[in-house]
Amino acid sequence: MIRMSGRFRSALIIGGQGIRARKLRTLLSMLSLFLGVLAVVVVQAGSEFAQKELLADAERSMAKDGTLQMYMPPHEKAAPVALETLRGRQDAVAMFENRAIIGEPNVAPVNPGGAPFDQPGGPGRFYRCDNRGNCTDASQTGAPPGKAIELNLVALTGDIRPFRGFRQDSGQWLDFASAPSLAPRIVLNKEAAKGFTRYQVPAQMHVDNGTADSTPQIIGVVDDGGASYGPMAYVRADELLNWMKPVALSDGNARLQVLMSPQARDLEQTLKARLVAAGVQAGEIYVNRINARERVEDQLAMMRLIFLGMAALVLLIGTAGILNVGLATVGERIEEFALRRAVGTPRILLAGIVLSETLLTGLMTAGAAIGAGALGIKAGASMFGSRFPSLANVEFPWQAGVAGVVAGLVAGLLGGLIPAIRAARIPIATVMRA
Amino acid sequence: MSPDLTQPIGTPALIRLSGITKTLKGQQQPRTILDGVDLTVHSGESVAILGRSGSGKSTLLSLIGLFDRPDGGQYMLEEQDISRIAERRAAALRSARFGFVFQRFFLLKNLTAAQNVAMALVNGQGWLPRRKRRARVLEALEQVGIAHLAKNKPPKLSGGEQQRVAIARALVRDPRILLADEPTGALDTETGNLVIDALHSATERGCGLILVTHDHAHANRMGRVLRLQDGKLAPAHQQVVA
Repeated sequence: MIRMSGRFRSALIIGGQGIRARKLRTLLSMLSLFLGVLAVVVVQAGSEFAQKELLADAERSMAKDGTLQMYMPPHEKAAPVALETLRGRQDAVAMFENRAIIGEPNVAPVNPGGAPFDQPGGPGRFYRCDNRGNCTDASQTGAPPGKAIELNLVALTGDIRPFRGFRQDSGQWLDFASAPSLAPRIVLNKEAAKGFTRYQVPAQMHVDNGTADSTPQIIGVVDDGGASYGPMAYVRADELLNWMKPVALSDGNARLQVLMSPQARDLEQTLKARLVAAGVQAGEIYVNRINARERVEDQLAMMRLIFLGMAALVLLIGTAGILNVGLATVGERIEEFALRRAVGTPRILLAGIVLSETLLTGLMTAGAAIGAGALGIKAGASMFGSRFPSLANVEFPWQAGVAGVVAGLVAGLLGGLIPAIRAARIPIATVMRA
Repeated sequence: MSPDLTQPIGTPALIRLSGITKTLKGQQQPRTILDGVDLTVHSGESVAILGRSGSGKSTLLSLIGLFDRPDGGQYMLEEQDISRIAERRAAALRSARFGFVFQRFFLLKNLTAAQNVAMALVNGQGWLPRRKRRARVLEALEQVGIAHLAKNKPPKLSGGEQQRVAIARALVRDPRILLADEPTGALDTETGNLVIDALHSATERGCGLILVTHDHAHANRMGRVLRLQDGKLAPAHQQVVA
């Protein structure tokens, strides 16, 4: 052990002396390797960032990994049973999705059927289908066009953010701790916010099956990951229930789902049992567990493989640079290595000296590439953070640092191996013949 | 029958070569360069080996220094047969028992004199902490009288000083035997004498010395003078005429 330690230290000391003695060559080796290691660092950082963003997006639009998602069929008792069962539970939230129109009453909205605002040709033909599969053209209502926006209104029994990681864009999120307001407070998604920015509409909200129209208060905008699905608004269920009966939350066109934490198996069983007891067909209740990470990783795997392959190619070119410089250096140092053998340096240590030089070069290059990558990300975040919120708080991922160090070491090892073998084979008698 | 002057009498032998043969296999015909060499060297003894260029002096030195192995014969080092020793053990013995001085100094120009001397200590054969290493290096440089030049790099040293750094490098591990291959070949007479003085002083501390040289004056300062001729080692006249 002590012997190995001595050899290891000797290799490091002599390797360090070699690097100091040939600074320009070391710099050239580092330059040839830098791009390769930087490519690996960037690919790893990019894939980590993409995975994080895709995962966050999937968690916003679906739900966080492991969340239990229960779909219920439209049934007049479904909403009352769900409201009753979930009362006081922090580990589950019910979502009742209904159609709502905000603006002038009895007119055709600017986006019939709650269509997105930037469809080719503008909001136009949009088909609305009920649960029996009967579809009608939402624009063919016969009403005159007016100043109104149609959207999907999602009534929540509690804070949904523990299950879906909404990103607050502006304003504030729904406060479930305060007393319910008669003027329902709503939070728009980004697509709905786009509509309200573009079109001036009166503050009157009509909800399907509502007892009367209400005056909504827009209190914030969130990124719910579902912008492409059309305009949506989120509201407290109890505030909406001031304007409609609980049974109306689960009428023929409403969509009902409950998100439950992975540990809420008891709630799942209770809710199922109570729904069945209320007359809901057991076969129409679907429960699935969200697996966002696996889905995202599948999406990323191929892309990451392709980019890593390209990075490996650039790294290989850098390795060839180290190899080239290493062979030339060993050729120049024949006498030095022969002399070292003469004074008792074993062959293995000679190989170790050359390898330690290339490994140290690889490590220093990795340090430079990681530093450049981290600085690049910081600069990118400060330059584009205001335009792209996902970049605002981005940090250099440690996995990219590890990948850079591994790439530098592998390049150093591969580039130094053949020169190391050559150094170890230099005949000792070279010094006698010199 | 006259006494064999290649074999001293008395104390146990440091090195004992018996019937050593070596054939060089070059591009032309194989050439037997050593053909039954016998040599015994004791502690504190100095031996000069003379011979024409190509007579095999350096080859003999490289066999003694374990740079190479003989084709035949027996090589005993401190009563141990090392004729067919493996390279790993040979490296350890080169480090522990031998010190080498060559005609060219083989100093690394980017290292200081002290670092060049320390090269023999940082060779993977055991480990000395930096402080002890520095003390040993300074002691070796002191022995050859140039401790004050420890921080100088070779380009700033004269030829004689560089060779003395090389001798300090050979002495720093307290070798049992010093092998010097024409160490004054690149030096003027006066500087050469200083170098021979430095080598000679090592024998006073019990170190054996084998000096390969063309210089008869330097050879005459050794305890024994041998001549390598026709692959065999024979005593030269006690006082070789220059």
